Amino acid sequence: MSMFTRKMRMLTAVVMESDKDNVVKALLEKGVMEFVHIGSLPADKMARLSEHSSSVPKAVLTDMRIRVETLLKEGGLQLPELESHVLENLPSLDMETYRRTLDRLSLSLQSIRDRQKVINQDINALEEIIRYSAEKKDDYLDLRVGVTTHGSADDLLQRLEQIGGVFLFSSKPFISLTLRRDSSRVTEVMDKFGWTESTDSEAQKNAVAEAIGEAKAKTESYRLELQKLSEDAKERIRKVADDLFRIWTNVRVHELCEHVESYFSYTRNTTLFSGWVPSEYSDDISALISKVTSGRCIIEWTDADEMPREEVPVEMTSPKILKPFERMVNNYSTPEYGSINPTPFTAVAYLCMFALMFADLGQGFILLLVGLVGTWLYKKHPEKKDGIISRYLCSLLMYLGPASMIGGLLFGSCFGFELLPALWFPFDAVVEGEAVPGLVQDIYDILGITIKFGIVIIYLGLVLNWINLVRKKRFFELVFDKNGLVGGALFSLGIWFAWGFVASGYRTFPSAPFFQPALIFCLVLLFLKGPVGAVIKARKGEKESIGSIVIDTVMDFLVQVLEIFSGFLSNTLSFMRVAGLGIAHASLMAAFYDMAGMPDNIIAQILIMILGNALVIVLEGLSAGIQSLRLNYYEFFTKYFTGHGIAFEPVGFKSSSAD
Amino acid sequence: MSKVSDYAFINAKLRARIGIMRDTALFDEMIKAPSLTEAFAKLDGTRHQDLLEVYRKTGDLQQVELEMLEDEISIYREVESYLPTVPSSFISVLLEKIEVDNVKNVIRLWYSGAIRHHAISYRAAYLYKKEIVHSIDYDGAINAVSYQELLGAFHGTPYVDVLSSFSMESLASEGLFPLEIALDHMWFRHLEEGIKNLSGQDRKTAEAIYNTDVDLKNILMLTRYSYSYHLSPESLRRVMIPMGYIAREAERMGALQSDDPIAVLSGIVRHHYPQISEEIARIRRTADDLTTVEENNREILLIEAYLGERRKKEYRKILQGDPFSIGVVLAYFFLCIQEYGALRAILSGKYYGRSEEKIREGLGL
Repeated sequence: MSMFTRKMRMLTAVVMESDKDNVVKALLEKGVMEFVHIGSLPADKMARLSEHSSSVPKAVLTDMRIRVETLLKEGGLQLPELESHVLENLPSLDMETYRRTLDRLSLSLQSIRDRQKVINQDINALEEIIRYSAEKKDDYLDLRVGVTTHGSADDLLQRLEQIGGVFLFSSKPFISLTLRRDSSRVTEVMDKFGWTESTDSEAQKNAVAEAIGEAKAKTESYRLELQKLSEDAKERIRKVADDLFRIWTNVRVHELCEHVESYFSYTRNTTLFSGWVPSEYSDDISALISKVTSGRCIIEWTDADEMPREEVPVEMTSPKILKPFERMVNNYSTPEYGSINPTPFTAVAYLCMFALMFADLGQGFILLLVGLVGTWLYKKHPEKKDGIISRYLCSLLMYLGPASMIGGLLFGSCFGFELLPALWFPFDAVVEGEAVPGLVQDIYDILGITIKFGIVIIYLGLVLNWINLVRKKRFFELVFDKNGLVGGALFSLGIWFAWGFVASGYRTFPSAPFFQPALIFCLVLLFLKGPVGAVIKARKGEKESIGSIVIDTVMDFLVQVLEIFSGFLSNTLSFMRVAGLGIAHASLMAAFYDMAGMPDNIIAQILIMILGNALVIVLEGLSAGIQSLRLNYYEFFTKYFTGHGIAFEPVGFKSSSAD
Repeated sequence: MSKVSDYAFINAKLRARIGIMRDTALFDEMIKAPSLTEAFAKLDGTRHQDLLEVYRKTGDLQQVELEMLEDEISIYREVESYLPTVPSSFISVLLEKIEVDNVKNVIRLWYSGAIRHHAISYRAAYLYKKEIVHSIDYDGAINAVSYQELLGAFHGTPYVDVLSSFSMESLASEGLFPLEIALDHMWFRHLEEGIKNLSGQDRKTAEAIYNTDVDLKNILMLTRYSYSYHLSPESLRRVMIPMGYIAREAERMGALQSDDPIAVLSGIVRHHYPQISEEIARIRRTADDLTTVEENNREILLIEAYLGERRKKEYRKILQGDPFSIGVVLAYFFLCIQEYGALRAILSGKYYGRSEEKIREGLGL
């Protein structure tokens, strides 16, 4: 792992047109290069280059790939992994055949859906009759029990089924249960067969129950058929899974090749391309291109330092163990090239904050357990979609759980009970106002601890910013910026001043010979920011009028002073929320503990404690997670994280950049 | 209660939803899908997963449309539950529009069965039969064999008054159009009352939106019926929605009593909606070879497109303005209706095998 973002180098290469395909495949297989369009050549040279023209446009390939992916998903199938051996004998594209295969499958699926539709309509029709009967809406039903005097019973049945209803024609007397609104059509059909109502009162009495029984049985069998058809649809896709995988692999590889080649420029016999590569791979890439072109290539490397920083893609190289926190950083933004990788600092700060806010050995263990079980379940069912407890949350819980457990050990809390001796101080007892030995005696002491913690975090942010500025050679900002040295010095003076005031019991302001000169020196530096900046700009040829410099200086000075004093103060006090959440956690558990003491029944007591713990784990866990994130984003990142970077997206078999 | 406390929660909730709503890429992929099954499959993992599940289980597009209607109703209900009494009852009026359309469907079904003697059983299953705003006996309505029975199914609802002014004979001879217009007018009266009950900014916002809406609907009505069917002034009065600027101006100027009501109405439209008048005039001048019906159809499409665009602009403005008013809620409903409308259009387009181009044209893309 590097403390800073990964070092990059830019490759520019010229290869023979005939070697182009081999180069593309080799680079794809390696998958470490982010291609860039060549746009910085002189216009006359650019004019002589032609753009890549493809036999099958990338958009067509993408549409085809998405179509296959949709069908695979419909069949509950996972996408295959692309492996390097597919490049060895990559078949040429046969889009027409692919299309025919997919159309055939689609048509077959559609026929299943059409069949399902017919069955569904039959179910709907029967259900209406069943419902009317269940709701005693017999007025809407038309029951007939009788026999035909002429014609075939099968013909009658066939005609009645076109109208819809339940018909029992296997034994006489026949039973017909239809809807009253269809009675005129039923009568018309029955009359043609000389229908005569049965006088058998027993048969009449039982007819509805028999017909409804039949309707229910039919509905049930239709439902099973529907379910089977639904499974059939998946099965049909699975049957052609190999074809689909083959098509997908071929189309995807060609699509990636197209994507890479879309960055290429051509002369009559050569191909020119360029892209960013992590510097540790530069020798490998040079060797690779030389190998596949048999040395017929020209390769030129440009170090990232020679390029504008904002054009260099950024990759953080955090160890796998810190990946959940890297995602946290990426959600905020991409750091600038060459700056410090915020991931390890974020991980430490986040876990410390969470542990302070949600310190409980037992509850932490539950979080860990949820994380472990969730991860195991997602691994077991990779097709499972993310629920409220997502994959990411599970991976995070595996860190938050132990952090909370360590907090619990430090403060001697387990499921809200003081079951263990606190390694540091008994948080719950302090919150409840009990007399405890040691330095931390009351809530104010806890608030003090979190403020000190905040100061450490803010100072860490400032130091990281200074390192970044030195690396970027932005010495002007290093000295004069509110997050630079002058800002840091003013923050230190503020801390010293506040400390003295608090130490005197809020009675007197502290005094020391260094304070006033140091404060004035810092303010003067801050005031000089405008004029010094104007001089630097003037040297670069950007001259400003004296009037505007004066106005800018005064305004900038006032704003900066205000920002430094109010900003640092609010940033520091903001960390009191850490204590606030911790106190809320302890208070809630104490409340549930008291509530559990109310009933005499031991089972009720246990239930209250279980419910209380569950509620606290969900609510407080969520609050602590969100507040820790907030403190990182607003109080910590704002000190050193500019987020001006662009993410490095190499093209390879596992990349999504061609999507 | 202040406006902030009335709307703070719902504003935040709906804005968050609006943020993830406009997924044009999804619609594009659905349009490109070569079959209905593949178009449906694109809904996997989206907010409309429930529709896909219904389709996978039944293969029935109409069953999916019923589910969509249920989803739409639940959207209104949910928002209604988060608002205080007055705006909540206004949402109830808006929900009543869905009920009016459902009532129209019921009556069409009944008409088809009882008057035209067609089989309606399979269509009856796709009718939304749960209570939307009023307690209606939908089973009673579709199974009614007489007009009295039909009226009985609507007992205790405002629809009885409208239905009472018609009879089985009048419907058999004139068709359902006059009844449907009367139901629409009833709803617009309720809407007008609902707007009046709102206070301050809410009323202004709702008035601005719905008056324009009604005006454009009236223009649409005039275009659709005056040229094709040459309606008499009396019939014109019946079809025009008595709300909005055009209807008020027509009333004030006595347009329908004049010798040439269409000319007076056109003058009013020209004054208030010059852009749309110019567009209509342009179509007529440049389309000499078109028949009147074709001209008419083009005008209708044009007005519908204009109506859509104007609404979009209006709602965009609302979303950028005061967050603590009913505007955000109305904008959210508009976007939901638009989204469901687009889904319906795409899916039915796929069902009937329409080309990508035709579907896009229908969606105004």
